[in-house]
Amino acid sequence: MSGDITGPSASRRKALKVAVAALCSENGFTSSEDSALETLTELLQSFLSEVGRSARAYCELSGRTEAMVSDVAMALVNMGFNIESIAGHAKRPNKSVFIPPAQMTQPVI
Amino acid sequence: ANSSTTNVNKSEVKTAGVPLSDLVLQLEDFPPTVPDSVTAYYLNKSGFDSSDPRVIRLVSLAAQKFVSDIANDALQHCKMKASGQSSKKQGKDKKITLSMEDLSPALAEYGVNVKKPYYFV
Repeated sequence: MSGDITGPSASRRKALKVAVAALCSENGFTSSEDSALETLTELLQSFLSEVGRSARAYCELSGRTEAMVSDVAMALVNMGFNIESIAGHAKRPNKSVFIPPAQMTQPVI
Repeated sequence: ANSSTTNVNKSEVKTAGVPLSDLVLQLEDFPPTVPDSVTAYYLNKSGFDSSDPRVIRLVSLAAQKFVSDIANDALQHCKMKASGQSSKKQGKDKKITLSMEDLSPALAEYGVNVKKPYYFV
């Protein structure tokens, strides 16, 4: 798995796990094995990293430094993801939104 | 905007760019379950740079759809298994637990082979 228990990625990993749990509960599960949840979390993290890497590659291939929607679309298509199904998923009725803690840009004095 | 939504709903138009660009324009109205800031962190970690928050939201939605689809597949496996068992037991516990047993075949359909370490309890 991701390895470090502390450090900057631990909090993100926790947020991903909460998101995975929310999605599972949305689908109708009432409880879960920790190993299954952890597997899905790993999968989600892997997916995000892969999209990032692939989209960056497509963006650099076209001589840009900043990724555009088309780069992400190419990355998703290349991964065998059905782009047209995103709209249906975004508009699903029983949405659970997990609001992450606000990021502190200024240190509190 | 009205004609564009009907296009997406009926999916009559099969051109590659049109449905996605329509969706991207509306993306701000769909808060994702996977937080945008977390998505941005993992994208930046793999070298991705974008100042457009909608690009990040698109990735968030795609990622959560990926997980949601797998969870749904696992649920179908779970329900299929439950229907094979006696109906008496089914009525008693309405708890549906996501287990590795159901998740593994669901993941196999996506080309992910989970090898359960037998020593790991």
